[in-house]
Amino acid sequence: MEPGSQEQAIATNSTARLGWGRVLAWLAIIALLVILGAGLLRSQQGSVNVGQRIPDFPLTTFDGQTIHTADLRGKILVINFWASWCKPCEQEAADLEAAWRFYQARGDVVFLGVDYVDTEPEARAYLEKFEITYPNGPDLGTRISQAFRIRGVPETYIVDQDGILQFVQIGPFRSLSQIKSVIDPLLQP
Amino acid sequence: MITDLGYGALAITFFLTIYGVLAAIWGVRTRRPDWIDSARNAMLLTFPLLTLSCLSLIYLLVNGHYEVEYVASVTSTRMPLYLRITALWGGQAGSLLFWSWLMSAFASAVTLRNWQRDREFLPWVVVVSLVTLGFFLGLTLFVENPFDRLWLLPGGLAIKSFFAPEGAIPYFQSDGKGLNPLLRHPGMIIHPPMLYLGFVSFVIPFAFAIAALITNRTDDRWIQITRRWSLVAWLFLSLGLILGGRWAYDVLGWGGYWGWDPVEIAAFMPWLTGTAFLHSVMIQEKRGMLKHWNMILIILTYNLVIFGTFLTRSGVLSSVHAFAQSAIGPLFFIYIGASFVISLSLLLQRWQDLKSDLHMTSLLSREALFLLNNLLFLGILVICFWGVIFPLISEIITGQKVTVGPPFYERATAPLFAGLLLLMGIAPLAAWRHSTVQTLGKAVWKPTVVSLFVPLIGFLGGIRNWAALLGFWLAAFVACVTLYEYGRAVIARSRSRGESLPTAFWNLAGRNRRRYGGYIIHLGVVLMAIGIIGIELFQKETQGTLAQGEELSLGPYTMRFESLAVFDTADGRNVARAVVSIYKNGRFVGELYPRRDYYYESQQPMTIPGLRSTMEDDFYVLLVDWQPISSAGATFKVYQNPLVNWLWLGGFVFIIGTLVATWPESEKSPATVRARRRTPLAAKAS
Repeated sequence: MEPGSQEQAIATNSTARLGWGRVLAWLAIIALLVILGAGLLRSQQGSVNVGQRIPDFPLTTFDGQTIHTADLRGKILVINFWASWCKPCEQEAADLEAAWRFYQARGDVVFLGVDYVDTEPEARAYLEKFEITYPNGPDLGTRISQAFRIRGVPETYIVDQDGILQFVQIGPFRSLSQIKSVIDPLLQP
Repeated sequence: MITDLGYGALAITFFLTIYGVLAAIWGVRTRRPDWIDSARNAMLLTFPLLTLSCLSLIYLLVNGHYEVEYVASVTSTRMPLYLRITALWGGQAGSLLFWSWLMSAFASAVTLRNWQRDREFLPWVVVVSLVTLGFFLGLTLFVENPFDRLWLLPGGLAIKSFFAPEGAIPYFQSDGKGLNPLLRHPGMIIHPPMLYLGFVSFVIPFAFAIAALITNRTDDRWIQITRRWSLVAWLFLSLGLILGGRWAYDVLGWGGYWGWDPVEIAAFMPWLTGTAFLHSVMIQEKRGMLKHWNMILIILTYNLVIFGTFLTRSGVLSSVHAFAQSAIGPLFFIYIGASFVISLSLLLQRWQDLKSDLHMTSLLSREALFLLNNLLFLGILVICFWGVIFPLISEIITGQKVTVGPPFYERATAPLFAGLLLLMGIAPLAAWRHSTVQTLGKAVWKPTVVSLFVPLIGFLGGIRNWAALLGFWLAAFVACVTLYEYGRAVIARSRSRGESLPTAFWNLAGRNRRRYGGYIIHLGVVLMAIGIIGIELFQKETQGTLAQGEELSLGPYTMRFESLAVFDTADGRNVARAVVSIYKNGRFVGELYPRRDYYYESQQPMTIPGLRSTMEDDFYVLLVDWQPISSAGATFKVYQNPLVNWLWLGGFVFIIGTLVATWPESEKSPATVRARRRTPLAAKAS
């Protein structure tokens, strides 16, 4: 091959490479924007709002028992989304359990723990570590968390006797008294 | 009245930015320098105007003008003066104004430099800076206005608006909600400004880079001009990250300093590209290589800054840092899209002009090792970026939002961080252009041998964790190389010039500030690495409920619960404060007072740990719960955090090193004389 044509070949080669590079760079940018746009759209939809009826769901607990929220009308329902890998969840774990023990005897307050994107051994170890006794189960296929459009864990939804959402806690509860201060006004005398 | 003044200044500045952009472009198109000068003056004026606007808001905050919605949402009568001032950045609207103000300070400062040698950059630097500033001002003015007042509609509904809605009457509140207690911490008072300063100051190097692309002046000039700006930006960003870590350690009450939270990562990503940039510009300066690469890095840095701000403030991702749901998301999205597309188009257009004629000659040369260092930084960036957007991707593809947690980041980035440490040791010893295994080996073997004693001592001392031993070796290796380099240069200088060793040390650090400042930074990183290894691999924790007089043990420590008191304070808190005695190996070492403050007005509690801090370890006690009536029992969470203080010490050394590297180098200016007096102190601190 003559030197001139060789140079030309190299030049064409690098232009072709650049051409593909260009396409890839644009595709990457477009993909990123699509992803961000979709995320933004979803975040703008927001979660289930206070004052609305919650989407009912069945929860199969780690003990194999199945609980339907629709069967719990007439009781106050505390739904806590958590995960064993979630540090902030640990902050509220003891308080939630203490609140459960406080109301358990009354019989008209039910606590449900929904374990979000987790592995079972770790989740069980977490329940054991914090001595959690109220029913907990995995959110299989993240169906429950999607229905509630949770943004992360922990989040806690407190529902009144008619199935109407009364309170949402994003992030951990800070104390037992804070939990009580939300539940007490909903209790019927 | 003051509200109108602040709002008016804000509005005028916004229109001034639009005018500046148009005037600069017009000046270029018609080749009329007077228009460009006018644009420059517009940019200069943004700072005093926004200062006026910020001062107005501070006046409203300090004097408790609760008819202004922002004031009512972040201050209260019981807050001390300094917190009312810092409430300027305690909420979304105020912090956007504050962001713009800092940005305008940098934009104004850049107009004051001497432009004679690079006038062709001027209009485009003005355009990029003012577009960025204008965008943030637009958000402040039209979406999140800190000067909005509260109004009572005829129906009794309170709304916020700057101008009076029809039939509405002003709504005066007697008191506000007060600042989020988590933000009432010295670290939190300086953390956001530092981070914002880091963010906004990266706009300037980016503006010069874009100007260089547009004018096709693709030599090293833009890099020379922006070197110090980049270092300043990097300094503030680093400081912001370190202070954020300290704040988390003191306030968030999980015994850690870094949680791989999306927002932490959002601030960390521009730092990664910025750090890579600071290293790779040296190659362009010395060897004329990596021009594309530097352009890409600075473009990435700017876009990551905007991206990070978007993530924090739009509610797209959940995080402890996220601001409340906000309407600014879609606008940010459009801005990000435009910024991505324009930067990429410009870069691709000039791709051929940025080509360098030089190629790597040796895989062990310093430039090759620097490139490798860059790739490792970018590797960490890719991991972080993937972790942050993975929940969004998984949601699109599977409909499930899968969040990745700290274990993912820790496992994926740890080997890369180790690689960076190793390179930090080797690269300073490699020669530019050409280095062989022999030459490098000859330089490396002495520090290697010395550094091996550290893991050996660790092993004999009972450490069996191989990751920790490797980490300690790497830290020791970098420390040895750095000190060895320093020592060699000091001795050489002392011999050749007949100076005494301390004088030689002094002068050396003063002569080549970037190099020796860089070494101090490396030593800072070594110290931080020791702290990180300590807390990550050896942290111990336990928790227990104790009755008065009962004890809890962790490692060499025993803690005895002595008493607990609950009382109200004058500034509106209810405090539960426990007294615990700490014994180490059976010997009494002091009392700690972990407490829980409950803020009545904002109805938020805050956990303040009791902390016994030494260079060996921290003993960290949290009061988790207590029996309110009898005060007989209380639940504590206890951590032993080995070596964590090395992290903070390292952070301090790191900042000193950056200051040394940033300080102006010219011999005659008075600033240098001052700097010289300080440099030896700084160097000694390492």
